[in-house]
This record gives sequence, structure tokens and C-alpha cells, in this order.
Amino acid sequence: MHSPTAQKAKIIWLQGVTCNGNTHSFLNYEGFERFFQRYDLLYHPLFDTELGINDLSKFEENFDFLILEGAVTGNEEFKRGKTSFAKLFEKLAKKARYILAAGSCASYGGVFKEYDPENITGIVFDKESKRGIFKEYENKTVNIPGCPLHPEWLITVLDMLSIGKMPHLDEYLRPKELYAYLAHDGCIRNEYFEWKIDVKDFGYKEGCLYYEHGCRGPMTHASCNKILWNSVSSKTMAGMPCIGCTEPDFPKTELFETKKYMSIPAELPFGIPKRAYLTVTGITKAFKIDRLEKRLIDDSKRDN
Amino acid sequence: MIVKEIIERIEGEAELDFTYKNGIIENVKIKFPHFRGMEHIIEGKSAMDALVITPRVCGICGHAHLIAATRAMEDLYKNSSNDIEITKKASDIREITLNCEIIQNHIKWFYFVMYPLIRSIQKGSQEFISLKNKKFFEAQKAVVQISKIIALFGGQWPHTSYALPGGVMCDPTYVEIVQALSFLDEVYGFFEKNIFSDGVEAFLSCSNSELISKDGDISLFVKNAYEQSYEKIGRSYDRFIVFGENSLFKSGKVLTTIVYPVKTKYVTEKTQTFTYSKNVYYKDKFYETGPLARQMLLKQPLVREFHRKLKDSAITRIVARVAETALLLQKTRDLLKCLDIDAPSYIRPKKNIHKISGSGIGVVEAARGSLIHKIEIKEGLVKKYEIITPTQWNLGNGTKKCPGVAQKAMIGLKDKKLAEFVFRSFDICSVCTTH
Ligand code: SF4
Ligand code: SF4
Repeated sequence: MHSPTAQKAKIIWLQGVTCNGNTHSFLNYEGFERFFQRYDLLYHPLFDTELGINDLSKFEENFDFLILEGAVTGNEEFKRGKTSFAKLFEKLAKKARYILAAGSCASYGGVFKEYDPENITGIVFDKESKRGIFKEYENKTVNIPGCPLHPEWLITVLDMLSIGKMPHLDEYLRPKELYAYLAHDGCIRNEYFEWKIDVKDFGYKEGCLYYEHGCRGPMTHASCNKILWNSVSSKTMAGMPCIGCTEPDFPKTELFETKKYMSIPAELPFGIPKRAYLTVTGITKAFKIDRLEKRLIDDSKRDN
Repeated sequence: MIVKEIIERIEGEAELDFTYKNGIIENVKIKFPHFRGMEHIIEGKSAMDALVITPRVCGICGHAHLIAATRAMEDLYKNSSNDIEITKKASDIREITLNCEIIQNHIKWFYFVMYPLIRSIQKGSQEFISLKNKKFFEAQKAVVQISKIIALFGGQWPHTSYALPGGVMCDPTYVEIVQALSFLDEVYGFFEKNIFSDGVEAFLSCSNSELISKDGDISLFVKNAYEQSYEKIGRSYDRFIVFGENSLFKSGKVLTTIVYPVKTKYVTEKTQTFTYSKNVYYKDKFYETGPLARQMLLKQPLVREFHRKLKDSAITRIVARVAETALLLQKTRDLLKCLDIDAPSYIRPKKNIHKISGSGIGVVEAARGSLIHKIEIKEGLVKKYEIITPTQWNLGNGTKKCPGVAQKAMIGLKDKKLAEFVFRSFDICSVCTTH
């Protein structure tokens, strides 16, 4: 890591088509003050930084990280300051050592792609295919999807690159160190998953959300249950099904219910063959585990 | 002469086109350049998908969008004569998480947006860079703590979709309650250390003169405004509207401090030619929405005293936002302490949404004011979705004779910096305004 006297790595944070969610997620980072001892944020659209938006088009220096939040658009009318977004991005992309796609929009197109599918893509990817408007920058781009991304995912990647450790990237340019896990890994409902016991309904701490409530944890690459959200929780820990926001096909539709064919979930956990799934669930279903059928804390209060 | 100014750090960008006459701002056009087509994105999808898409309208108030979407669907159930019930527990949890979102917003607005600006208005002060200032980091720490409370119930913030027609998805234990209370304590501490030296409770019962005599950033700001005599700038129509309801207040409009009832059916939208944002009117009139409107409705004593002296000036607006922060801290603590965790979190509606056709309206008070969602579905598929955001109320462009709320507040000023100060006193959000 940099000592306080070492030269700080320079960051420019640009926004494309966005909701600002990644910025607000970034603002939840617990080591913020130390972060600014290591990095020099030359420009950020929401903070009072040394550069303003119109200085960027005149910016000629090389710098370390270009962080993009939001999707890219080829629409020339979409301006940042006085310059079209696409021109500004291209100019800065050339000067940057690395480009980090912060969030699913910058990585794959995300939610806003649906309004203007022709013009809007991620930097390198357009959903699952490598047809992003700026795919020529593939060799310096790292995708950090999530809607929003987790601040620690972003800062971990920055820190790794700063000490010269290139993350191992998967086929969608996601660092495996963070995205080789499934959102399902580490979920406190795992035992219920194993014994095929779904929640009675929303609003219960007991039970898994995969079998009836549409949880995408077993099909989603993310470390939500390893690196907790806001340091305290995760969707599935709280009781909300995973919606698969780190995958290139986000957002899917018909969320919060599990699609099934002949009472078998249409989508099986990532990499599990159907035969294996059927064999294992056939066995577990044959047992009734009393402990897992009961409420965890008090059986008497709520109707069971 | 028209002078174009790009305004940054407002959750995106806006352009203000000032027209001057004899050195005085004679008119100003407010333009928002970015449009993302959120309503179109939802149309055609399954109704429940609105719970995931709508929070993505805005990274800072997405949770309010979730609750508005949920309420719109609950209203839809009612309108199509299907029972829908939610427990007090579920509505209290929603109120807790909504309050926390508003608190984090106000702290960010105060320290990231207004603080640097006010510092640079002060005579002789140098250009102020917040990233080099201790305050920025202290405020960020408070924001981290308050967002944790939302995550304890919703799993994460921003962008949880943990509320749905019929209740909420979480099932907290006392562990979450006591954790939440301790995070809240830290924010109380932040308020006392930075905003007002006598703390949250004292702030809510202090008077104008007491406020000025104390230490803390709000006292400093108000003192400064009086010393440099800009305490009265930024007045507008002095007409306020609040559509959302919660355990603190019912909806209403406030005219010369008298409260009248309101109905959403009198709200109309109008497209503008030169900006993506649409104007919003109540019975053809502009109204101010937001914290000042809510505090006027609640008759909060300190805000009312400022209003008596300074009317709806920028400083009154600032004091109202700080008062709201204090009030919500207090209210959230009460709600957490009284939460009946044994009640059900969710009551499944009897009829599946795929079997329902109809329409509904959901209203919620977001950080910047009243947020309205309208949904129309046919057998569970969204036919039409409409979103009216708080900032549309405040930032509409009217005519010369009848300017919009923020326009009116800026017209007549001489100084560009003061105009920007007035503009920002409305807490601008570019992504919400155009969505
Ligand atoms: S990825 Fe999600 S959080 Fe990020 S900008 Fe897009 S919609 Fe917002
Ligand atoms: S709730 Fe989802 S993430 Fe958790 S165990 Fe079940 S399937 Fe896995």
C-alpha cells in the first residue's frame, strides 16, 4: 500500500447514463479518509473536486484510473458539460492506465439500456456479448458489476492494481477474487437450501428463498454474503431474494417468483446438472427435519 | 444578455440561463439535459418488477421510489376491490428506513453541497475544496452509520427492494433493533458535535436568537447570513404542498400558514420544449414541496419563527431541513424502541397480481418532497407508469409573469453566486427531475 508520502494514484470519476447509485454506495465506504490519503480524486461530478466538468475536455495528462459509473451512449446529444459524453470518455480512456466499470450499467448496459437499446451499452460488453461501444479498450478495462457495486469491491480492485496485482478476470471481465463466489455462498439460509425448505412466505427469517420466491443467489456471481453490505447485512440475510444484479443479463423480469417446469425450478444452481439436482433433492426431501421446520426464536407468537 | 451557467454537484447537471437587466437577474431558465426514459422501461414488464426498476430512478432517494411503487400497487389492489392489509409493524419498518434515507440525504446536502458554497460566499474566503476538509469526512461517517440502519432491515442501501404490496420481507430480531439504536446514537453524536452544539432535542425547542448564540455549523451559517444581509433572499410564492402521509403528519397545502386538504386528482403535468423536465401544477398553480413545506404543515416552532421573520427565504429553507433531520432522528428512535417484532411482517394479498387489472396511485414524502407514482396494469402487466418527482414541483419553468418556484426565488438577485445559493437551497436532483 502507498505510504502517505508516496505519490497518490490519480482518479477521474466520470458518469454516463446513471442513477448515481454507485456514488452513493461508494459513500458508504468505511475507510473513506484513509482512501483519500492513497488516492487523488481529480474529478468527481458530485463532490467539490479540483477539476470541474469543463476542465476535463482540456485535460491532457496521463492518469491512473478512469472510473465510469453508468452506461455509455453513442448518442452525441448526451453531453457532459459542453462535450458529448462519448467524446469525453474516449479522450480520457486514452490517457488512463486502467478503466474501471463501476456497476452493471458501465459493465453491460444495465437498466437504462432498455430505453435506448441501439445506443446504450457497457464499455466493452453489450449484455453478454463483446459489442460495447468502447470494446477496443478491453485490455485495460475491469468490470465491477452490481447494481450498485459494493464499495469494497471497487476499492479492493483499486488497491490491487495500485500494488501491481492484476486481478484474475472471468469471461465477463469480472475479478474472480470477488466474483468467482456465488451470492448464495455464505448465505445464512444455506442449511434450508440444502434440506429443500423454502420460507413459509416473505417476512420470515427461517427458510430459503430459492424454491418459491425467485432467489437468484445460486445463479449469481457476487460476494454479497462474504463481504456484507453496509458492513451489516445482505439481501438474502434480511429476507429479500437475490435479483442477480451482477450478471450481464440484469435486469431480468418476473422477479420474486420461481419459474418451474414440472415442479422443478427452470434455472438450477450454477453448474449443477439436472440429474445431480434431482438425485440430491429426492433424498433430502425424504427426510423431515424437525429443527428446520420450527421457528428459530418463538413458536408460540405467530401462527405457524 | 443571456449568461449560461452549468451547475454541477446536484446528482447530475443542470444549466441555468440567466437574463440580466441593469445588472439584475430578470429571468432564468432551468434546463436539465439528461433523460433516461424510466417510465418506458417499466411499461410492458410484470408489475412486481417495478419494485426493482423504480429505485434505479435515483441513487440518493431510490428507497422512496420503492415505497411509492409499493403503495401504488397497494392502491391498485384496493381500487379493484381486492383486500390488502399491512401490519403496523410493516408500516413502522418502512417509516424507519424512509426516515433514514431522508436523514442521509440531508446530511449530504448540508455538508457536501451547502457547506462549501456558504464558505466561499463568506467574505475573503478562498475557494473551498471539501475533499481537503475534515467536515466532509465527519459527515460521510455519519452517512455510513445511518445507511447501516436501512441495510439491517432492507439488506442494503442503496437499491433494496425489500418492501412489497402486503408488507416487508425482513423479520428482524432484537439484535437488529439494538444495533440500529446504536448506529442512530452515533448520528445523534454527529449532530451535536457539528451541526448544533446543544444537540438534537435542544435544536427542536430553541428560538431564532438562541440558535444564533450557539456553536455549530447551522448557527454559523445563519449568523453569517445576517451579518452579510442575505438572510432574506430566495423568497418565492410562500405556498406549500405535501401529499405524503406518515405517523407525523397528514397531507395538505399551506397558504398563509393555514392548512387545507389536497387531492392528487388536481395534480397536472406539462411538457416543456427546451428541457426534459416536466412542469407540475396543483390546480394550475406552482407550489413548493419538501422539508420546508412539511415543517410548515407540522408547525415546527423554530421553522415557524424563521418563517415569521424571513418568510420562505433560502435561510428558512435551510433551517427547515436541519429541523427535519433532528425531528426524524427523534422519530426514528421512538419507532425503533416501540417496534412490535412479534407481529407479521407480511400478509400475502389474497389475489395474485397476475390476475388483476386496474390502476393505483402511490404517494410518499421523499427527501426533496412529495413523490407520486401512478401505475396501470392489465392482468399483472404494466400498461402505463407515471412518476412525478418532488424536484419537478420546485424547479418548473413558468412564464415571465408567473415563474416557477425556484425561478421566482432567483429573479431580482444581482449576484450569480447568491443565485446559485438560492437554487441549491431547494436541494436539486437532476436524475429525479428528468427520470
Ligand atoms: S448499475 Fe444500477 S446503481 Fe449503477 S448506475 Fe446503473 S442503475 Fe444505477
Ligand atoms: S436464500 Fe438464496 S442465497 Fe440464500 S440459501 Fe437460499 S438460494 Fe441461496
